[in-house]
Amino acid sequence: MDELYAGLADIFEIDPSEIGSSTELEEENWDSLAMVSTIALFDELFGKEVNIDALKACRTVSDLEALAGA
Amino acid sequence: MHCALPVKASIKAVATYLPERILSNEELALKFDDWTAEKIEQKTGIKSRRIAALDETALDMGIAAAKNLFATNDVSPDDIDYLIFCSQAPDFILPTSACLIQDRLNLPKSVGALDINLGCSGFVYGLSLAVSLISSGIASNILLITSDTYSKFINEGDKSVRTLFGDGAAATLITPAISTSSKIGHFIFGTDGSGGEDLMVKTGGARHPRTSSTATEYLDDAGNVRSEDNLYMNGGAVMNFTLREVPKMFTAIQELAGWERDDFDFVVMHQANLFMLEALRKKMKIDPSKAPYYFTDIGNTVSSTIPFVLAKLFQEGQITPGKRASLLGFGVGLSWAGCTVEF
Repeated sequence: MDELYAGLADIFEIDPSEIGSSTELEEENWDSLAMVSTIALFDELFGKEVNIDALKACRTVSDLEALAGA
Repeated sequence: MHCALPVKASIKAVATYLPERILSNEELALKFDDWTAEKIEQKTGIKSRRIAALDETALDMGIAAAKNLFATNDVSPDDIDYLIFCSQAPDFILPTSACLIQDRLNLPKSVGALDINLGCSGFVYGLSLAVSLISSGIASNILLITSDTYSKFINEGDKSVRTLFGDGAAATLITPAISTSSKIGHFIFGTDGSGGEDLMVKTGGARHPRTSSTATEYLDDAGNVRSEDNLYMNGGAVMNFTLREVPKMFTAIQELAGWERDDFDFVVMHQANLFMLEALRKKMKIDPSKAPYYFTDIGNTVSSTIPFVLAKLFQEGQITPGKRASLLGFGVGLSWAGCTVEF
């Protein structure tokens, strides 16, 4: 999941070391643009299509990890 | 025994028009206090976009682009025998905009003229019609005008789309190819109307007439102010559609043409915005040097983005005989179309 953390750090404009499973998305400017960027990230890393509603339901990075693995 | 080969078509010239008013990121940042000008540029790749005047329509802009084409090329209105106008902002429900353009441009009364209502895929669809008309011998000097004024559909309080779209027009002349190598061909199309609601202006047509109720503004769950009369975009759905369909389309074009990825000198994608194009470019493994971008100071001009890039490449002298390009249009509809062009 290192690549996921690196990609999310890029989207949130923070250092990857600041990202962990428990990182609260709401604290990291989890807006519509961040979600669209995450859609592109999931496609790139996992070849997986996720929709905005599934992303809106995520509260923490671990929720995103679950979505990536599901 | 010999068979007459169909006449091949080529892009002879492209001219563009931009309205005067500039909407800068600085101006947008004043309105949306959680965004800075730098952040808008970093995310979208766009610094400013042009906005049509209140009394300036897509038809007016298209005419201006065509006049630029006639002024800068060895072609006159009398030479045109077919006009295709691609826009989603007609002056009237009826008559057809292309008919009014015939009169305003003094095109011959013998001209064939029609509108096509498509957005970001429209230029490639227009090319496919032009190529068909030429290769069948029906017409020979085709004026394809693309023009849109999405700014008129966008609520000033909707930062999600206001940062992306700009107004602009392009006029492209398609003629029978003189060189034996030049050709527009290998078209791939796609349509998925189930995504129609993902990019939509819901009211104003026959299905939902505009009323005072549809004009009522509300705050959506992403914090944008809009009404039912405004442009709506489901950014996530459009990103998913684009990443799903455009790379498949490019692969299909390569198979149809019998060319490898490296055989293309340019892959000209619809200039949606920086993050979408970079996601696509990486997925399709296209070298940055082969993916020309032109949106920094004009934004996403809908069906004119591809001809804006072509006009820039022509001006820079980058388009020379033998160069090969793929054009990839995709967006509202949902609709997509791609083709190859040999110059």
